[in-house]
Amino acid sequence: MAFMELLQVSFSYRGQKQLLNDINFSIHNEGITALTGPNGIGKTTLSKLMVGMLVPTTGHITLKGQDISGMTLAQIGRLVGYVFQNPEKQLFCPTVSEEISFGLQNLELPEHDVQRLVKENLPYFELEHLAQSFPLQLSEGEKRRLAIAAVLVLEPELLVLDEPTTGLDAYRKHLLGECLKKIVASERGVFMISHDNNFINRYASRILILENGRLKEHGC
Amino acid sequence: MGVRLTVKMINLDPRAKIVIVLCLSTLAVFFNTPGSLLIVLIITLLLLQIFQVKYISLIYKFRRLLPVLLVLLFVQSAFTGHGQVLIAFGDVHILTTGGVSSAGCVLLRMLILFGSAMIIATSNSRDYVLALVQLKIPYEIAFMVLIALRFLPIFIQEANDTLIAMQLRGVDIKKVAWGKKIKYFTYIFSPLVSNVLIKANQLAISMEARGFRVYPRRTYLRVLKYNLLDYLITILSLSLTLAVLTLSIVR
Ligand SMILES: Nc1ncnc2c1ncn2[C@@H]1O[C@H](COP(=O)(O)OP(=O)(O)O)[C@@H](O)[C@H]1O
Ligand SMILES: [Mg+2]
Repeated sequence: MAFMELLQVSFSYRGQKQLLNDINFSIHNEGITALTGPNGIGKTTLSKLMVGMLVPTTGHITLKGQDISGMTLAQIGRLVGYVFQNPEKQLFCPTVSEEISFGLQNLELPEHDVQRLVKENLPYFELEHLAQSFPLQLSEGEKRRLAIAAVLVLEPELLVLDEPTTGLDAYRKHLLGECLKKIVASERGVFMISHDNNFINRYASRILILENGRLKEHGC
Repeated sequence: MGVRLTVKMINLDPRAKIVIVLCLSTLAVFFNTPGSLLIVLIITLLLLQIFQVKYISLIYKFRRLLPVLLVLLFVQSAFTGHGQVLIAFGDVHILTTGGVSSAGCVLLRMLILFGSAMIIATSNSRDYVLALVQLKIPYEIAFMVLIALRFLPIFIQEANDTLIAMQLRGVDIKKVAWGKKIKYFTYIFSPLVSNVLIKANQLAISMEARGFRVYPRRTYLRVLKYNLLDYLITILSLSLTLAVLTLSIVR
């Protein structure tokens, strides 16, 4: 059974013309899937549908066989981590380390486990020296790493990233790519939206292209 | 004739619209019987019709208030003794005419307040700034009001995004205990406030870079003029309201 499955999904924003038309695909919680396509074609919209932030006009999305329309965002968030195109939108805690511990506390982990995981994750994302900083005052790259870290500590089985390489320099892109590889090695899947052809060709194991509301598999 | 009246009413001076809204809301607050409030509501709806505002959706949205009104209905019935008892359970009054009428008043009042506010929305927000300026309020302040109005939907959107991000990180909004709810609210507001400050700062810099306030006076592309119709409407609504108020006080 596929981890996530989209069946005949169509979507339009209220009062606008159809943006996504009969989208069908499934992803397993393995490998790096990349989604590309021109600006404004609906990639972000598609990813928001995948985590239940938007609801398809027609069609269904299932997660481990269960229709996500019957799940709460909190339940979906346990299985699918989502990093916004603009990471600022998902940073809301007063300090960097609280940002990372927020999700863990919601899992009701014991406090010392939370502290340990935060201590482990800060250096991994090179955020150690910023532990007590205010998240919204970080640089673009730092904000993005923090957003990824905050979602990844929850150990979702699929990580969805919306244009994760924007605002990163070459070295940070490399770090991100290696980080994604590690995630995949720990038996998780990554679904990323990106324009960055070099990055995609280097890391993605599967490429999807969104064009005129329809989805095409690269090489098909 | 009907069409022309509609067109004219939409182009009414924003100040005249404000007067209408003030009159309606004064009456809504002043009256406390369902009958008189109903009359004010009907007038409001007629005005909305003339301004071509689609108010059906507003009324539909009020269905969410029904549970609150029901609670109010029973609380008012049980604790304020007036009116006839319609349903009683032993000594406890479940439903009294007094309760029904005060819950009805609350509903009608809110409908009038929200409905009349929709009249305001038929003018462009720029026009209200002009109106404020022509009432001799400094442009800086009027402009700030405009900016606040302009950014409000964006901030609402942002707060909403934060809420979604929180839920995706494991917060089940429906099950959160009250103590935590307050903490989460501060989490929603702190990025909002910091964003407001950052945006305001950027805006101030880019406005100054484009010559805002270099000279004490500025030119306006449009000048609002109070027409005959505006004067008529203003005088009519003010005098009607005053007449109704004095009449009901004297009685
Ligand atoms: N909340 C919204 N309401 C209405 N239209 C929207 C909204 N969000 C995005 N859109 C529109 O949907 C289209 C696709 O947007 P998006 O999914 O962000 O594209 P992409 O991520 O591929 O650049 C755009 O034309 C955009 O203007
Ligand atoms: Mg996008």
